[in-house]
Amino acid sequence: MTSKVTTEVLEKGTKQTKTILQIPQKQKSKIYYNKKAESEFFVDNSALAGFTGERILYMSVRELIENSLDSCEINHILPVIQLSLKLLDPLNDLWTISCKDNGIGIPSDKVPVAVCSFLTSGKYVEKQQRGLFGVGLKMIAAFSTKDTDHPLKVWSKSEEESEYYFDLRTDIGTNKPITLFKKSVKNDESQIEGESGFKVEAILRAKLSPVTKNKIYDYISQTSIVNPYAIIIFETDEGKVTFKRRTQIMPNPSREVLPHPSDMDLKTLKKAIFNFMNQKTTLQGILSNSFQKMSNDKAKDIINRAGLTVKPADQYDEHELIKVVNICKHTKFQSPNTDHLSPIGEKILTVGMTSEYSIILNKETSTSGSQTHLSAKILKPSLTAYSSRICIVNNRPTIVECGIAYGGDIPSFKLYRFANKIPLLYDEGSDVAREVISEVGINKMGISKKDVKEQFSNVETRSDRTVEYLPIHIFFHICSTKIPYKTAGKESIASEGDLKKYMKSCLSDLYRKVSAQIRRELKIKEDENKLRLYKHYIPFIVNAISESIKIDSKKLSKAFQNLAEKYVSGELSNIAKQIFPDSDHKRVEPGNKKNTVNNDNGNENKLSKFDTRSSVSVSKQSNKIKPAKINIPHKITKK
Amino acid sequence: MALKDKRHQEITNKIRKIMKNVGDDILVEGIMPSLEIPKVGYDNTVWSDEKRMLTIGEKTVQVGPNSSKKIPTFAQYLVMANAIRKLLDEEMESTIRGMYYATLSTVGDENNQQKFWNGQDDSDDAIKAIELLTNVPREEFSVTSKPKGMISGPITLSVGGDLIDCNLGSRATSQLIPTNIRDLEIVKVKADFVMVVEKDTVLNNIRKSGFIQKYNAILLTGSGEPDRATRMMVKMLNEKWKMPVVIFADADPWGLGIALRYKIGSESLSYDSDRLVTPNSKVLGMMFSDIYEYNIPKVARLAATPEDLNRANDMKKKPWLQDKRWKKELNLFLERKEKCELDAFFKYGFKYLADTYLPNKLREAGVI
Repeated sequence: MTSKVTTEVLEKGTKQTKTILQIPQKQKSKIYYNKKAESEFFVDNSALAGFTGERILYMSVRELIENSLDSCEINHILPVIQLSLKLLDPLNDLWTISCKDNGIGIPSDKVPVAVCSFLTSGKYVEKQQRGLFGVGLKMIAAFSTKDTDHPLKVWSKSEEESEYYFDLRTDIGTNKPITLFKKSVKNDESQIEGESGFKVEAILRAKLSPVTKNKIYDYISQTSIVNPYAIIIFETDEGKVTFKRRTQIMPNPSREVLPHPSDMDLKTLKKAIFNFMNQKTTLQGILSNSFQKMSNDKAKDIINRAGLTVKPADQYDEHELIKVVNICKHTKFQSPNTDHLSPIGEKILTVGMTSEYSIILNKETSTSGSQTHLSAKILKPSLTAYSSRICIVNNRPTIVECGIAYGGDIPSFKLYRFANKIPLLYDEGSDVAREVISEVGINKMGISKKDVKEQFSNVETRSDRTVEYLPIHIFFHICSTKIPYKTAGKESIASEGDLKKYMKSCLSDLYRKVSAQIRRELKIKEDENKLRLYKHYIPFIVNAISESIKIDSKKLSKAFQNLAEKYVSGELSNIAKQIFPDSDHKRVEPGNKKNTVNNDNGNENKLSKFDTRSSVSVSKQSNKIKPAKINIPHKITKK
Repeated sequence: MALKDKRHQEITNKIRKIMKNVGDDILVEGIMPSLEIPKVGYDNTVWSDEKRMLTIGEKTVQVGPNSSKKIPTFAQYLVMANAIRKLLDEEMESTIRGMYYATLSTVGDENNQQKFWNGQDDSDDAIKAIELLTNVPREEFSVTSKPKGMISGPITLSVGGDLIDCNLGSRATSQLIPTNIRDLEIVKVKADFVMVVEKDTVLNNIRKSGFIQKYNAILLTGSGEPDRATRMMVKMLNEKWKMPVVIFADADPWGLGIALRYKIGSESLSYDSDRLVTPNSKVLGMMFSDIYEYNIPKVARLAATPEDLNRANDMKKKPWLQDKRWKKELNLFLERKEKCELDAFFKYGFKYLADTYLPNKLREAGVI
């Protein structure tokens, strides 16, 4: 974690006591009561932090990028992140992972603990943050120490300090950093170009399956969607991809916020009192200063209702304090603030959606075997839309953001989920966003499954939902000080409180916004299909006619093509021109469309077709064509 | 041959007229062409009290190249019409399968290639459309299907001048009923009545038993769903040669449907009933009630499938099946949910069907 470090926590954490209790002789076996160091605990239970065999490299990439983004955004620095993942030793599955950013860096005296000591974090506050637990970077350090003899290399440059270089390892048994080497670096040796920054390089023993590798690619490209203001340079053995900065706008950083009184418990209350220890403040003062939506009067009222006598705040015992907590649970407070949250925002998400990078793997086969090359392609949709809702979920202010990108380069349906700007890539099936998509039908917006299937018949989807046949990307972002994750792996969000309701209304909003355009595009596609059909079938029809009767087949074919164009045109003249490039196509005024187009009633319609306005273009044509000789062997009267 | 040529010319002129109209619509009038075709199906099938058969109603459909679905259909119809014209001009004949092959093609470019026909059903439909458009049955286009109807008994046919005696002494085989009906003539009939059965297996059993000789009957089968030639043969024997016609089919909704094809016609060929339907024929069996009257053993009865039940319910609703006798039979079936094939009588011995059941039924109906 690259943020500032609180030394207090560190000291507590490193006090290691080992007490061995001997159980009375009655029992034969002895039970030893040990205290485990945090580092040892997390290494033994690495799954808690998501570091399971397959996912070690994926989680490392994730943690490093998230730390870097947090470290930049905290001081409103436009991020430049360079991530590299390379195979060092294929025999022993050793990988070098390195990440460099231009964030605020870490003061040199705090670097060792910030990198190596578990549960040391600048993020232990009530605030919307990517990481929270002070575990990620430590996990990388511990794994590197555990599995290799390489030190962790760290370069850090924080404000008003020169750049320092460290060789670090973790003492897993004590949760203490081991500084093998430390020096101030200058000029040539300098790794950090800007005013501040942080770089870490670690050697990890891990296996990388193709599935996980794709997840890493997905993770980075999805991160770039919600962070279009960041430059992300990603390098692997397969090549280098640069996600360019597409906007200078950065979201306002999230701010720390006082807890809401509905969330009060004995621990938070005692902590609040502890914080005011040295100031002579009453309980009433502490309450109104430590919790949001708690006025002085309200605090007084609560203390009265709890029946507590006035005395110095630190004199209350737990039996008295729990009364305050209980009263608060039964008191109505205003809804919590939301202005401290940092949503992606319409502007930024729209930039992200309109310039979505997709990583492409090009397989090249040469004499030396097949090689894959990384490259990136920007998908430009034909339209995007954005909608958001502010709501309260489990007493925590939550902002739901939803975006849609449709058409253009987008090939097929995909759901993107983000929680506090982190892409969620696993367990999509059990995520609330999935339920939302199933429960909000796009069919109600006049987009029928039949039409969609007809136009996108080549789309392969396991689902039979209309929307999944469309070339559409749906984005959900939930931001909150506490995301209701379903599992410890933090990969899917549970449907808690009204969250689903708000997500559904967001999506309905968007469907309403884009449905008219989608209908229009479907119509255009249908028209294109129709023109293609005409192009393909007119020769058959013309051939059948010209073999049966004497007729100028070229003229017939041309006239038929003109007719077909006119029939489809109305809204579509330019596409018609592409398909029939050499035709002297004339666009029919939209007002006349119905008269020239509708031919469902056959004979009866023929009379009405020559109304005065549409006859301009039509009659010219018949004049032009009349001289053509049509010889019919036998005198035949019309139908 | 001269007469034939004239008829062929009439038909090809009809096709040319269609082509001319389409060409004129495009070239002269500058409008989307459209073919008006009588609608075929339940909602355009009308019962005629006078003719005592199903006839086609007044409804029509417009097929023009004006929707994604109809562009291919329109092209298919014109291509088929042109193929029929060629066939007639060349004085050739073809089966419906032959027409499918003659018009096979692919549509589109490399990126978007499709088959012109999705299957023979498509080309069969196109042939039907040309029949409806020209009001000419396809046999007159020289387009036929593979023969599958069979006939046995004291009747002599002439096929293109070759005489075929169907009264084969051996009892061992039957004659196929030719489908090129324009070449077919009935020369001589020396029977007392005509008996139509649903399946060839049953016909073989009856023939082998000496039924033909004993009762002086002509035996006929369509081998399931009868083709047009078989239906026309039945009609001709009944109306031109004054033969009483009786029909036996299995006691299931499918069999009843087949029996009724001969007697009242069908929805899908309602436009051709005048040529195909024999209203004077009598459907004698096998009735659902026969299952119980003849006490067919349980093992020989079959359980009705959901499809059977749907079909029976559908039939009950048809306005032309409101006759008390049919209602009673269908209700019995829907109640007992049991069906039975004519072959079930074999359980009582191989000769029981021909020696006992059929004579009983014929006697009841006063045919023998």
